[in-house]
Amino acid sequence: MSDAEAPAPSASADPPAVDPPGRRELLAAVLSFLLGVVPAAIGGLFFLDPILRRKTDSGSGAGDQTMDGFVKLDITPENLVEEGAPVASTVIADLDDAWNRFKDVPIGSIWLRRQQGGEIVAFNSICPHLGCSINYRRGENDFHCPCHASSFDLDGATANDTPPRDMDSLEIVVATDGRPDPNGTELWVKYQNFRRGTPEKKPI
Amino acid sequence: MAFILRGAADVRPHESIIMKALIDWFDDRTGFKELMHEALYERVPGGARWRYVWGSTLVFTFTLQVITGFMLWSAYSPSTRTAWESVYYIQHELTLGFLVRGVHHFAAQAMVVLMAIHLIQVVIDGAYKAPRELNFWMGLVLLQIVLGLSLTGYLLPWDQKGYYATQVTTNIMSATPIVGDQIQTLAQGGTEYGHLTLTRFFAMHAGILPTLLVAFLAVHIYVFRRHGLTVHDENHAPETTFWPDQVLKDAVACLVVLAVVMLLAIFKGVELSAPADPSVKFDAARPEWYFLFLFRFLHFEVVNKLGVTFGAIIVPGIIMGVVAMMPLTHKYLGEFGHTLNKSFTWLLGAAIVVLTAMAIIEDREDESHQAALAEAHRDGARALELAAGPDRIPVDGAVELLRRDPFTQGPRLFAKHCSACHRYNGHDGRGTMVVDKAGIAAPTAADLGGFGSRDWMRSVVVDYANHFSWQKNATWFKDAQKAEAAGEDVTYLNPDDSEMASWADADSLRSADNADNLTALVEFLYSEADAGYKPLDADERAAFSNPLAADPALVGTGRAVATEGAWAGDLQGSSCVDCHTSIGEDFVAVSDDDADGYPTLAKYGSAVWLKDFIRNPGAARHYGEKNQMPAYSPQQLRDDELDLLVRWMTGDYLPSEVHDYENRLEDLSGSLPTSSSAGSSAPTAAEE
Ligand code: FES
Repeated sequence: MSDAEAPAPSASADPPAVDPPGRRELLAAVLSFLLGVVPAAIGGLFFLDPILRRKTDSGSGAGDQTMDGFVKLDITPENLVEEGAPVASTVIADLDDAWNRFKDVPIGSIWLRRQQGGEIVAFNSICPHLGCSINYRRGENDFHCPCHASSFDLDGATANDTPPRDMDSLEIVVATDGRPDPNGTELWVKYQNFRRGTPEKKPI
Repeated sequence: MAFILRGAADVRPHESIIMKALIDWFDDRTGFKELMHEALYERVPGGARWRYVWGSTLVFTFTLQVITGFMLWSAYSPSTRTAWESVYYIQHELTLGFLVRGVHHFAAQAMVVLMAIHLIQVVIDGAYKAPRELNFWMGLVLLQIVLGLSLTGYLLPWDQKGYYATQVTTNIMSATPIVGDQIQTLAQGGTEYGHLTLTRFFAMHAGILPTLLVAFLAVHIYVFRRHGLTVHDENHAPETTFWPDQVLKDAVACLVVLAVVMLLAIFKGVELSAPADPSVKFDAARPEWYFLFLFRFLHFEVVNKLGVTFGAIIVPGIIMGVVAMMPLTHKYLGEFGHTLNKSFTWLLGAAIVVLTAMAIIEDREDESHQAALAEAHRDGARALELAAGPDRIPVDGAVELLRRDPFTQGPRLFAKHCSACHRYNGHDGRGTMVVDKAGIAAPTAADLGGFGSRDWMRSVVVDYANHFSWQKNATWFKDAQKAEAAGEDVTYLNPDDSEMASWADADSLRSADNADNLTALVEFLYSEADAGYKPLDADERAAFSNPLAADPALVGTGRAVATEGAWAGDLQGSSCVDCHTSIGEDFVAVSDDDADGYPTLAKYGSAVWLKDFIRNPGAARHYGEKNQMPAYSPQQLRDDELDLLVRWMTGDYLPSEVHDYENRLEDLSGSLPTSSSAGSSAPTAAEE
């Protein structure tokens, strides 16, 4: 296109044939905006999947005594002596990780203890402070986390100011053949993890 | 040099003309000459100086990271079952893999150090002041990006160290007010760590963050050039240009960085700890050393009282805020503001140094942390050994190698189930002394450190009373003795007063005539325990020669001693089989009615004997009524766990060169009160 042929706006004899510059600017702006926003939105939503995706299995009625969401432990009630030292137990279950299902692998570890009076309590061994592992200290007869020195009493209550809350207790049921039975010989635990670092105990 | 060049040009003038034409043609189309000129001939008033090198070293180090990073990328596979495995392969099998990973690892640390120096330099020189404040802020953004890179990179090998340290960091993220949960879930790719945590961290580490870094860096350098150097002293030296004076200094500095990084990579090396296992506690978790100050800060109970959000987010946020405000502090407070800024920087630096030193010193003195570290090193070294072993890494990952390895699991099972009474070379199996309220606790049963070894067998035969003397610390023993003293009729195992001890008292057992017989008997007993690795794979089994195997010739003689009483002197005709009727036979779990009334020695110390014993120590074929050991049911000790424990005790695992826990029998006997009956007569270490 030579310079001579360049249309000068004033030379246009037929105004409706060419859009006014204002409209063209708007159109160009809208198009550019879309060209930027659409790919960014697609990418962004993809990236947000972990918080957008609906959890597949949630909300088994906690109050109704079905054993949904409970895992059977190897350890049995008679292995727990009243007011004895806490006993560690590994929770073995199927673990789903993205595209894989791992059959019967350790998914966590818990502390079990029979309190005075015979009641059995279970605690998640993950520290409510920032998620390290809580140990039982034979010398001090308490629970202790080596990361930032959180201490807990044997009933799971905080014993110093480091942890934001008590140890996370877990629902535990004595059962026979998978049915709740106070005289049963099986121990079932509802294994859950909880948010760390917060005073409230929120399941994740 | 100049002469030679001129000479060469003189000889072939047409070549230089062609060259010049080519350059001109290229310049015409790109304008690169001007670009080069601008890049290389920047004014350097006051002369080239060492204090200007930091920016260049950072650019160089980043380039190093890009090169080594791309190479690592070409061999790395992000998933929970391949990340550790591929890093292992890079580090130990690929050509120069250790160097590429080593350089990447140490250059990352160098970058953090150089950034800190660069920042301090900028503050001291007042290079943050207007009109350079925007560039200062961009520098702070770059700092965050570099820290983000180091954080994401720490997790990628998916080893215990990175896994647990990063968990703490992502848990800190969740303490962010309001959106904490979402941030954490987004970073992790879900509510828990898994494949997606790795893929996302990797995308951040190798894609998003480096892209951002390059973009910010480009603008940072562009703006820096726009405003020029912040010159401290114009009259320091005559003005010069970037090329070649400053470039020379920069190059020397970069070379020093490169040399340091390479030396560290070659002589220090990067650790790859054991593969991440969410079910295995890792008490040695610590962040990278340059985050230790923050870690130590979070250790203060007062800080925790105010909450994780306060300690880990608000305080660091305020500090970053103060740093970011520096240009404004100067703007509104003038030179006083600058002094304030400098003081703040020095104070912050000092606080970081002090906190870091505290963290290091406290860890060094913390025995349980040292024990956790020792275990972590043992696990890590063992994982490497197994991965390089004849079976390689199975598809279910290296983590399964360790879960199925007696050498790794045995000590843990021992500590959990046995160490309340027994010890292993004085410790709890995992290298830690067993303590109770009063301090180091006295064992109440045999030290099983050398169980089934030749020394063990010899000690049982000739030194029976002493060998089992630890149990005299037990309450049951003391009670039984009291009852006995009170004239009651009690049945209990008293090592001092036993048929075995009185048999072993015979002088001729220790006489020179019987020395060879005794050695042969010990060898026979040792062969019955059948120590050593028994590979499952048939070919491997055939090819494996057991370094723990007994001497067959001696075993033959020993068998005659044990079963026919082939002794010299008084002992002649007195054989083990007189009481232990099944010695030398295959182990059979005979019923209580069929037992001979003495502990069975059929395959004594072997896996089959041990398993039966642990499950039923009170059976008549073992200790019968005299037994004090609790029976371990499969509910307490699963079959697979029992198998691992027993295989560890009988040496049935891929032989290991890994440095094992120290023998701590001396610590044990040294710490016990002398009144303790067993303390002074503790059996000597089972292994010489
Ligand atoms: S994670 Fe347990 S004390 Fe911090």
